[in-house]
Amino acid sequence: MDFDWNIFVYSLGPLLKGCVVTAELSVISITIGIIIGTLGGVARFSNIKIVSALMRFYVTIFRGVPLLVTLLFLYYGLPAAGIQLDAFTVAVIALSVTNGAYITEIVRGSIESLDTGQMRAARSLGMSYGLAMRRIILPQALRRVLAPITNESITLLKNTSLVSTIALADLLRAGLEVMSSKANTFSPFAGVALCYLALTLPLLALNNFLERRYRVT
Amino acid sequence: MTAELEIRSLVKSFGSQTVLRGIDLDVASGDVVVVIGPSGSGKSTLLNCINFLEPFEGGSIRVGGQSVGYKIDAATARRIRQPEKELNALRARIGMVFQHFNLFPHMTVIGNVIEAPVRVRGQQRDEAIASARALLARVGLAAKENTYPSELSGGQRQRVAIARALAMGPEVMLFDEVTSALDPELVGEVLAVMRDLARDGMTMLVVTHEMNFARDVGDRVVFMDEGLIVEEGEPEGFFTRPQTERAREFLRRLLEK
Repeated sequence: MDFDWNIFVYSLGPLLKGCVVTAELSVISITIGIIIGTLGGVARFSNIKIVSALMRFYVTIFRGVPLLVTLLFLYYGLPAAGIQLDAFTVAVIALSVTNGAYITEIVRGSIESLDTGQMRAARSLGMSYGLAMRRIILPQALRRVLAPITNESITLLKNTSLVSTIALADLLRAGLEVMSSKANTFSPFAGVALCYLALTLPLLALNNFLERRYRVT
Repeated sequence: MTAELEIRSLVKSFGSQTVLRGIDLDVASGDVVVVIGPSGSGKSTLLNCINFLEPFEGGSIRVGGQSVGYKIDAATARRIRQPEKELNALRARIGMVFQHFNLFPHMTVIGNVIEAPVRVRGQQRDEAIASARALLARVGLAAKENTYPSELSGGQRQRVAIARALAMGPEVMLFDEVTSALDPELVGEVLAVMRDLARDGMTMLVVTHEMNFARDVGDRVVFMDEGLIVEEGEPEGFFTRPQTERAREFLRRLLEK
């Protein structure tokens, strides 16, 4: 074991910088993913056949293709088609779209699990389909998906480590750089592991807060 | 007097199974019509067609003179779907109470009652709250306005559901076996609210298995079997001298229970 306190402490500076990138990337991608997933989950029930079919197609593709492949495809593949995006943008797109596909399925399942009487009662009061969805169905469906979406968000947070492959200075990349400059693996990576763990804690706290606030029944 | 609710030759099927085979029914304004019959006779389906929660294949339904669900296209004389907006406006005038309450569990009692007046009618929130309080007092639940449905008994939930429907100021109220999911000791409190409504002159179409209610409150009883109205008349006559064999058989079986 090559653990060295001095290197560990030295690595904290660069790791913290990496943390900021990882945290930014996660917050942005989680937010966009949840928006895509909510709209996607609702769209799966669309009466317009092409819309629900498109959503099914989207989910199949992005659940089926590994995130790493999506990242590399966007970063190295798109420039060949004349589209050059910076690494951060590519990372946000890949993470959001993959996350959105998973959340689409979670939201769809949750809406399906609701009693159909809820929609009937809402419509019987004169609500339009959209209003009933927004005021009656989604608030209940989203309460039920808090826990699975928290899971997905933690997965996404950890999956951001894949972006080190497209030259983004995230947390993992910071650790790798200390590793090669100091010729020591264990010390910086102890810090990397701790940082990832620490970053998941606010997500858990947010989940607990929301579950209390919205009385999950 | 013109009928508040006018149903003509209503036909409805689920796939290959025809559940309503030509229903004709009028409910005059202020009348209470009670629909009884064995399960599977199409009673609930009839109610669901009236506010178009279920589309139907043939016939017509009019509420307050206005056609529900379909219009006849003037040029082609063909039946076309009513625009969604018109349908929503029409549904807002028809109150419905369900067997399983279908209260919105994420809203408080008063939240349930004001939701549609505020969101559909565009009523001011404080105005809606004031009328909701009056309605909750009327159904005996003034003290429960900030409670969530999950904390209420079945009878209380059903009374909230009635208040929720009434909050839209409906012209007709549809009751779909509203006491069937209740513990026996809670049935009375719901029926009492319905009696009170009937006394106030609400037009009501009530599907129920409560024969005493049918007898005491109904202006007319409609007996359905296998998707048809087999017999109808004023309650006293129907219960003492049913004219058809099927009605006699149904009443006999009820007594045996």
